[in-house]
Amino acid sequence: MASKKSRSAPKKSRLSYLAWFVFTAISGGGVTGYVKPDTPVIGDLVTKVKSRFESGDGTKLAVLAQSEGVPGVLANALPGALNQGQTPYQGQAPYQGQAPYQGQSPYQGQASYQGQANAQPVASTRSPTNSLLIASFNIQVLGKSKMSKPGMPQTLAHIIRHFDLVAIQEVRAKGDDILPNLVAAVNADGSRYSFVIGPRLGRTNSTEQYAFVFNTSTVEHDPSSVGTINDPSDLMHREPLVTRFRARTQSPAQAFTFWMVNTHTDPDEVPQEVDALADVFHAMRSAHPDEDDVILLGDLNASETQLGRLGQYPGVRWVVSGVMTNTRRTKAYDNIIIQGQSTAEYTGRWGVIDLESMLGISRDVALTISDHLPVWAEFQLWEAPKQPSFVERFPGNRR
Amino acid sequence: MNEQQRLQSRDGQERAAAAEALSQMGPDAAFAAIELVKACADDEAVSQWAVSALEELGPPPVDSLGELTTLAAADHAVVAYWAITLLGRSGEAAHSSQQQLASILCSSSEMSVRQRAAWALGEINAASDVAIGALEEAAKSPDARLARLANASLEKSRA
Repeated sequence: MASKKSRSAPKKSRLSYLAWFVFTAISGGGVTGYVKPDTPVIGDLVTKVKSRFESGDGTKLAVLAQSEGVPGVLANALPGALNQGQTPYQGQAPYQGQAPYQGQSPYQGQASYQGQANAQPVASTRSPTNSLLIASFNIQVLGKSKMSKPGMPQTLAHIIRHFDLVAIQEVRAKGDDILPNLVAAVNADGSRYSFVIGPRLGRTNSTEQYAFVFNTSTVEHDPSSVGTINDPSDLMHREPLVTRFRARTQSPAQAFTFWMVNTHTDPDEVPQEVDALADVFHAMRSAHPDEDDVILLGDLNASETQLGRLGQYPGVRWVVSGVMTNTRRTKAYDNIIIQGQSTAEYTGRWGVIDLESMLGISRDVALTISDHLPVWAEFQLWEAPKQPSFVERFPGNRR
Repeated sequence: MNEQQRLQSRDGQERAAAAEALSQMGPDAAFAAIELVKACADDEAVSQWAVSALEELGPPPVDSLGELTTLAAADHAVVAYWAITLLGRSGEAAHSSQQQLASILCSSSEMSVRQRAAWALGEINAASDVAIGALEEAAKSPDARLARLANASLEKSRA
């Protein structure tokens, strides 16, 4: 802990102030461990865990798996078998990277998602594999209005079930029932997804929330790690939501662990915010001595050529490249950012889901789901061999 | 009935549907910029979609700048915030709005609105004495973001 503090000692620059506050918020230790006790959270799971934490029973990831009695075995956790038929994305290159799954969407050939509320269960869309599929999806104005559309919760559930872990942006609702209802739709087929949701963020009373929706059969989170980046200089419109996850395997000690950093920049201050994200990325990689795998993902409102200091971060790798990510296919807004050497668990497979092709719907109908497309990347389940520490590799960053 | 008219319908569902339709149009929704800004004061079902549309709108039509300048002084903070944002996106085309923006920067009770005004003055390349004075005062603000944005706009005006 002492070494972390010395590495994160406050400087007079914006960067270091941000890094310092992230450090104190995420890894500050003390009686509260690395949770922010004042972080607003909703949802049964988080409430339960927060309650347990506050009662002094906050546990690290390894203990959690046992205490919740959740099988630490990935295999056969999901019903259904991996389809080996043709991918619905074949012939669509180069719009997507690679298909995250191979199988048929139950929506193919449908003119609309309308009336799909009673569609057959689709749990087989994501079958047990030796990898994790992690996605980012800006579900434009995910709120009461969208969730009340006939078939929409089921459509969103179908999309989400293709992935082990989805970072969602743009939950916009005054009520707190949106994510519970969405996850209920996801689990309607027997799946076991859960969620983490952040506080309402925004400069006006028009706010939005970030969320992580994840398959508890294949990935678990450290409840004490849930937090919102502390941004005392107010550099960011919507400070990222961070949570630490781990792949569920038979050997938890060898499983891939990583921070997820969920973000949505202000379209009017993109250069400033992507620069601030470079600080967030660095702070997250430095804040915890046993974790330098950081997956920063979301709606950056910037293509890979507009990432500013984030794009210049040593060894940084942006997964999505050369592909439009909005539904109108005019902008490359969404991405997944990693540090290439540290996060060697990235397999190199990635993609942008073509909702029109996947669901067999028109562009206009796809736009009613979102003005963004899901982007995804694949990671192996096992922690890659330990790399030299970040400070050793980049001594120039040491103070 | 076009989307602008639907946004002014007495039927809340009609207004919400219009705002949602506009949110799916990206920059092509710019023709409805004024109505969308006004819709930010509507109920949640309408305003959430209006804000989403405005985020992707880009700069508004030049002939809307006069009314947006008026809306920038609206009592409703979200309406003012987005009117100012669109003025800022207009760049020098909104140069004539600088007095109004300077006034808002000095007098608005909403910090988010003052911050946006400070940002917009830089975007429109404000150079009047009133605007520079307002920015200089804002640069001394204890609010870190307001001071930072005001300083950035002052740097632009001096460039």
